[in-house]
Parts: sequence; structure tokens; C-alpha cells
Amino acid sequence: MRLRALGVVAGLCGACLGSGSVSAQVQPATPIPPQMPPAAAQPTQEDHPTLVLPEPSPRWIYVLEPVFPYLVASKMWIFDGDDLSVKGMVSGGYTPNAVMSHDKSRFWLAETYWSRGSRGVRTDVVTAFDSKTLDPVGEVVLPNGRLLVVPKKHNATLTSDGRYLLSFNMDPAFSLSVVDVTAMKYLGELDTQGCSLAFPTGDRSVASLCPDGRFVHLTFDETGRVVTSELGQPFFDSENDPVFEHAAVHRPSKQAFFISYEGWVYPVRLDGMPKVAERWKLQGPGDEEWRPGGWQLAAFHAASNRLFVAMHKGGKWTHKQAGDEVWVYDVTSRQRLHRIPLPHHSATITVSQDDKPLLFALTETAILQVFDAVTYQPKAERSNIGITPWLLYTFGE
Amino acid sequence: MTILDAFDRMMEHTARRIAQRSSRRGVLARLGGVLVGGAVLPLLPVDKTGAKLAHANEFAKTAQTKDPTKCNYWRHCASDGYLCSCCGGTVNVCPPGSYASPTAWIGTCVNPDDGQAYLIAYQDCCGKDSCGLCFCLGTEGEMPSYRPELNNDIVWCFGAPSMVYHCSSQVLIGKA
Repeated sequence: MRLRALGVVAGLCGACLGSGSVSAQVQPATPIPPQMPPAAAQPTQEDHPTLVLPEPSPRWIYVLEPVFPYLVASKMWIFDGDDLSVKGMVSGGYTPNAVMSHDKSRFWLAETYWSRGSRGVRTDVVTAFDSKTLDPVGEVVLPNGRLLVVPKKHNATLTSDGRYLLSFNMDPAFSLSVVDVTAMKYLGELDTQGCSLAFPTGDRSVASLCPDGRFVHLTFDETGRVVTSELGQPFFDSENDPVFEHAAVHRPSKQAFFISYEGWVYPVRLDGMPKVAERWKLQGPGDEEWRPGGWQLAAFHAASNRLFVAMHKGGKWTHKQAGDEVWVYDVTSRQRLHRIPLPHHSATITVSQDDKPLLFALTETAILQVFDAVTYQPKAERSNIGITPWLLYTFGE
Repeated sequence: MTILDAFDRMMEHTARRIAQRSSRRGVLARLGGVLVGGAVLPLLPVDKTGAKLAHANEFAKTAQTKDPTKCNYWRHCASDGYLCSCCGGTVNVCPPGSYASPTAWIGTCVNPDDGQAYLIAYQDCCGKDSCGLCFCLGTEGEMPSYRPELNNDIVWCFGAPSMVYHCSSQVLIGKA
């Protein structure tokens, strides 16, 4: 009986989700299309529906994989952070950027396609995915394109009210494409005056980093036009000690920590025009051989005021070398709390934002590791996460 | 306005922004133009004498000049991606059926045979999906993407007929 079969499937999958409080749902199998003869449907004893996820947990980890040897076919993997069991996957386009919604209902990929795979007409789009069904539920074409670059987290972001997605573009003029993700409509381009990346600073404002080490701060209106544009003062030496693009940013609390190649931390308040507090250094006496490095090399857990940074032993210009350890700091006292040795050196880390957080570390060899970010003990690891997983995202970040 | 005109304007913009903090003489010394394939490309701020060159020397200590299919070949000191030399091309010739990009970011590598520093244009070959062979990541003098002229993560296919990255070339510009 169909309904009974569905109930059995739902019950089984509820068990495999490992949470008694979460009941899995299913979507019925796709109905047979009219052009197919009814006899083509294979009768089975079991039903064959499609699972629907419950509301995402802040402890789920979203892994963006650009698949370097096959760049035209990227993926976003979703795992339960506690045991690294697979929740699902979506397919994406060329060198995508992911953006997580504030209300967990959606995530978006800013992505690029060609009509014949690697040839033909190029289309740049922001695609909305339903976070429960993982279905693409809408798209907005970016008529001026987007920067094609090894995915960097801060090349796309969401305003504080969750309404506008901003996608960085170099076509080759520097701009941010504005997409109203409520109306699913492209609005226009914000001229960033030669500055790059996107750090949200309010409901209608964003900051970008300039080549000489200052922010430009833009406010814009509901039609996607720049209202004000303000340049800050340089706060780091972009010639001799640049900050990594992958600042640890916590959108809800508007806090960010920019980290330089040499290990200086620049705390930044992203509320209106960015305000940079006094810098401090990751390394203390005896740490001279160590430096920060990797790709998404830092994460901030807002509730506990802790900054996590991937560190390695290396000389100058080893800024992309994966971390052998994660160093943990209290950003108020600016004291190091702990050094977490990594069983597998990792270029990318992040932390979940719940009150018993998980620390995730991703290697360049497709191994995902998870640690209890309170006790700092390893919890699980999983190999063969695709081919070249690269960036980590969580809801609530 | 062609894309290359626009590209030059973009890079001028970047250079001007840098110039706001640098001495005029210093900037003029580091800016110029080089004629490659009929298109005037911006020769962007390249630190020829400072820390980057010192570290290029560091790479050169273990570099070799015989086999461009290996990551320690001297020109690869800041190359990022799949070597065109492994994909049917060479350091300066694109594999068949791919497009040579006229634009590049510029690195400085030391040739261990003569101890001289050379400017290398890291131009991509474009128009097919990634070659997938001989991945190398050199980071000498490489800067974040808000310094695009010194960043090796960007798909450097601007000005080519396709923005699909295939492999990484290492084209000699001249002595630094």
C-alpha cells in the first residue's frame, strides 16, 4: 500500500538521520510523463520516493567543491557535522561561490555555465536552492558576469537583512552585482572603485578591500544604485604584509578578523563604515617559525569570542601552505587558549555557531576532520570527499 | 572599448590606487608597458629588488632548468595550476585547440643557471576544461586577489575568446 510504504521509508530514514526529534519527509517519485506509455512504469514492491531534509542544523557542514580537474562541474556536499554522514549534494557550475541565508531556508550559488559544457554561450547566474529539498528553486542571470577565480568565500555575500546578494565582478571593471533574492531580480552593479571582495556592513551597505590596504564603503538604494561611497584609511601594508582575503567573518554579530601573512590580526567592526581596532599578533615568544596559512584559514565563534587559525611552520611566501595545527585565541584577552594538532594538515577550517560548537578542518587531499571545539578532541574524519573540496560553510556563520 | 582597453583601464586604476601610497618616482619606475602579440599590456607593479626577489632566490636554490614538466622548473616559482608543458604545449606555446590569453599576472623568478631574475607572464591557455595534469602551486611574491595584478588564483583568460581555463603558461618577458 503506497501510504504505508511511504511511512516505512520515512521511518527508516528518520532512524538513519540519527535524531529522534527530526522526522524525515519524502517527496513522491516523479509522476510518469504523458508521453511515456503507462506500462513503462516498473512495478515494485517498495515505493521509490525522494527524501526531503528537515530544517538544516547549525552543526551541518556544507563543503563547496570546485573539482579542479573538471571545473565545469562543481558540487556542494552536505554532511552531518557530528558523524560526517552524508545529507545530500547539489551540482553547481564553474568556480561557484556559495551564500547561506539567514533563515536557513535557502542557499545560493553564484555560478557560471557555458551552453555546450566548456564551449558556447556563457551564462552567469545566482541560483537559489531550497535547503530541505535541495532543488534549484529560482535563478537570476548576472548580465555583466562574475569574476572567475578559485572560489573565495568573500567574493559573494548577503546584506544584514538577508535581502540582497552581492557578487563580485571584474569584467574587467571592478563591481558588485546586486541581486534582490526576495524578488529574485538583478538590480545593477555597484562600482567598487578598483576594490575587491564583499563584506556586508548593514541592510544596504557593503565594504570592499582596496589594493592599498584600505576599505571602500558603499551604501546603495533599493534600485541597486550607489548612494554614498567612502574610502577609509589604509590599515595594513599591502606591499609588505597583506591580509588574507579569507578573513574570519561572523555576519550576525558584524565582527571580522583580518589576518596578515605575518600573523597580525586586525579586528574589524562591520557595522557601517568598517572600524578597525588595534592589531595584535598571533605569534608570541618562541613561535617565530610559525605563521598562518592555507585557504579559508580562520574562523570565529561569536558566542565564545574565540578565533581559530590554521598555522604551519614555514618561511616567507608560504601563505598557501596548509596548517599543521589550529591555534585558538580569546579575542578579548588576545591570549592563545589552545593548540590543536591536526592529524591531517588542512588548508580550510570553520566552526559551527551553536553553543557546543564543532571545528571542521579540510585537507587538500579531500579529508574532512571534525573536532569538539570545546574540548578540542577529534570526533570523526571522512576521506574521499569528492576530488578537490575547497570551502566550508555553515548556517549561522 | 575592447576588453583589452577595459583591462588596461582596470589595471591603471589599480596602479593609481597603489600610487596613492607610493612615491611618484617609485611608481613610475615600476609601471610601463610591454608589447606582446600586438596588444599593449600593463606591466604592473613588480617588486624587482625587495623581499619577493629574495624569495625567488629561495625557490631557485632547488630549481632546475631542464624539465618544464616538473614543479621545480625555474619559471614555475609562482605558477598556479596545470602545466601546459604536460598538456600538449610548452612553457610558452598553448596546447592545440586552446587559446593563448594575452593578459597575465607577472611574477619574478631567478634562473639558477645564470643567477639572473626574470619577469614571467603567467598567461593561461583557455577554451577547454582544465587539463588536469601536473598541478603545481608556486607562491613566490603572490598576493591576495585585491592585488589582482599579483594574484595567481584568477582565471587569466581576459582578452581570450573564452574564459574557460585550460592550463598555465610561463612566458618570458625579459630580465627583471
